[in-house]
Amino acid sequence: MRRMRTIGVLVMVLLLLTTVLYAGGQREEAKPTVTVLWALYDGLTEEYRAELQSAFMAAHPDINLDIVPVPWDQMYDRITTSLAGGRPPEVSVIGTRWALEFMELDAIVPMEDYVSQATIDNILPGTKEAVIEGQLMGLPVAAGARILAINTDITDKVPATMEEMRAEALRVTTDDRYGLIMPGRKHTELTDFAYYLYAAGGDFFEMEPDGTYGRSTVNSPAGVKALEFMVQLATEDEVVPPGFMATTRMEAHPVFYSGRAGYVMIGAWVESALADAGATFDVKYAQIPGFRGTPSTPLVITDSLVIFKDAANKEAAGTFIDFFYQDEWKARFDELIGFPPVTASAAELPQFQTPLYEALNEAAVSAKPWPLMEGFAEVTDIVWDAVTAAYLGQATPQAALDDAARQIDRMRGF
Amino acid sequence: MGASTTTLRSRYWNKEAQLAYLLMLPAVVLLVSLMVYPIAYVFMMSLYRTDRLGRLQEFAGMAAYLEVFSTRVFWETTVRTAVWTVLAVVVKAVLGMIIALVLNVEYTGRRTARMLFIIPWASSVPISAMLWKWVYDHEFGLLNQTLRATGIWTNPPVWLGAPTSAFISTIWVDIWVGVPFMALIFLAGMQAISRDLYESGEIDGANATQKFVNITIPGIRHLILIATMLSSLWTFNDFNTVFILTKGGPGTSTEILITAVYKHGFEWLRFSRAAVMAVVTFVILTMLSLFYARMFFRQERDL
Repeated sequence: MRRMRTIGVLVMVLLLLTTVLYAGGQREEAKPTVTVLWALYDGLTEEYRAELQSAFMAAHPDINLDIVPVPWDQMYDRITTSLAGGRPPEVSVIGTRWALEFMELDAIVPMEDYVSQATIDNILPGTKEAVIEGQLMGLPVAAGARILAINTDITDKVPATMEEMRAEALRVTTDDRYGLIMPGRKHTELTDFAYYLYAAGGDFFEMEPDGTYGRSTVNSPAGVKALEFMVQLATEDEVVPPGFMATTRMEAHPVFYSGRAGYVMIGAWVESALADAGATFDVKYAQIPGFRGTPSTPLVITDSLVIFKDAANKEAAGTFIDFFYQDEWKARFDELIGFPPVTASAAELPQFQTPLYEALNEAAVSAKPWPLMEGFAEVTDIVWDAVTAAYLGQATPQAALDDAARQIDRMRGF
Repeated sequence: MGASTTTLRSRYWNKEAQLAYLLMLPAVVLLVSLMVYPIAYVFMMSLYRTDRLGRLQEFAGMAAYLEVFSTRVFWETTVRTAVWTVLAVVVKAVLGMIIALVLNVEYTGRRTARMLFIIPWASSVPISAMLWKWVYDHEFGLLNQTLRATGIWTNPPVWLGAPTSAFISTIWVDIWVGVPFMALIFLAGMQAISRDLYESGEIDGANATQKFVNITIPGIRHLILIATMLSSLWTFNDFNTVFILTKGGPGTSTEILITAVYKHGFEWLRFSRAAVMAVVTFVILTMLSLFYARMFFRQERDL
């Protein structure tokens, strides 16, 4: 009996201690915390992240801000895992094409609900890709078309067509330098296939009359032409680094930054990445060419900031976004990552009137985005496997893409 | 009836029993909430349609099983996982045994050698995998630089860029990380074998191989069973090595079941399919564990 009483007292003491500790924690948590999943763009420095965090908390002492850096390749997994666990962050950078999936999950809220009208009105209309069903579900944080960067120490040639680019790549390739860069290891983005597919006049899906996506067209003549060309460059011409099959985009580009490749199809971050790498060669920028007889159609990519519905501190999240979109912070962010500004006020600033931004603005005129559809992550994976099979010679480009199109259509219920 | 109820009650609901239940309660709660519930939920997910967050929507019976079982990739992945596990565990056991034998011999520097052999196992697996990824780098990696510099292989392969070399490279990292565990277990077993047995063997004229086969192996067979079973379970589910080195590629040539579960679940948000693969993994590993348990207890009985 005495033993039971002792255990009872012990349990009571433990309960009491837990309650006291929990209450103390709650008092600490009374100040709302805004957690931001922060994509690690090339060029974006830790100093900037820390300064932004400190400046915001100094201006808003009633709000805690936790900016969490996340590598791009892990961002999607990180968000979905947090959503599945019921603990999403307040704010996150997302690829805009993911917005549709998050909307289907009822996981994000319209920006107008928490962000001030002044901030929204300052966004350039052409960059508002995340308008879905008439509502702005994300604010553009980085928007830019892809361009061709040319190392002028290796070649001065601005190719007018893909065929010209191949010829020049063949000419300049030697034992220790390469014509162009081609990532061959599967990663989150399918950018390189998209560059060649769009350059050949192709697309991922046929469009239905009602504007929805129909069957997959990755195996169209344009798709096959694009993949045959990629395989030719990589495995027959050998104008790309020999280890390309083991490198993702982020791992492949440093070969260009080190001055050992003539061409790279890349985003606006190229200039800041070159500066970070200490590159000393001259670079010029041009449009990603089309194949002969096909106009240049570069890929344009938009990333957005979204607010999650189940986040605890959405009002405070809106306050942070208003703060971040001031020129003092957003223009500096754009400059660091090298993307063209998305706000009207920043677009007027002198630092955005350079050859790189001229090339980006020109590319934006004819650029095409990713399909904005649910399940595109799976489509990406399937096409990547087809591209890999073609590179490895396990299937012809036609057979690999036929198989991919079948899988995609089956997955989407066609 | 009344008497037997009273007897049962007095046996299972007396003060001693109540205290036992009270003390067991935290463990039971933890076990149910952290193990039983998640496993049950995965089984449910495999039988239901789920939304993109894995929440159960409507009962679908075996639909997800039929969908998964009808794909060629699933069967390829399952066979590859089995091959991966068997190969890795066998090599780990053989290498572990050799290392244990070396470390069991008296010589100067044995203590240092033991410490060095433990390093791969003491390091975190993700960090080891990242280090090996750099080692395998085609242009700048230590392996290819060494091969080129020494003239052993002037044009070495892209280790992680082709199916066969990627599979071998990935499995090697799993082996490298897992060997010290085997070696340590075997070494502990060897040191527990009485020296008298070896001396008797020597008097009877047994050579080194005969002593190894007739004294060492029988002396540590329990430990061989336990070590290979644990290693099989870990190797079968070695997500870190595969994910960090190749993410299952090129194509799906290094995909194993656990990375496929992750891909379907957390990259594509197809939780029913992921759950089916997780159930298959669970069933295979349970069968493996039962097989080992049976072997283990049979040995116990024979002793």
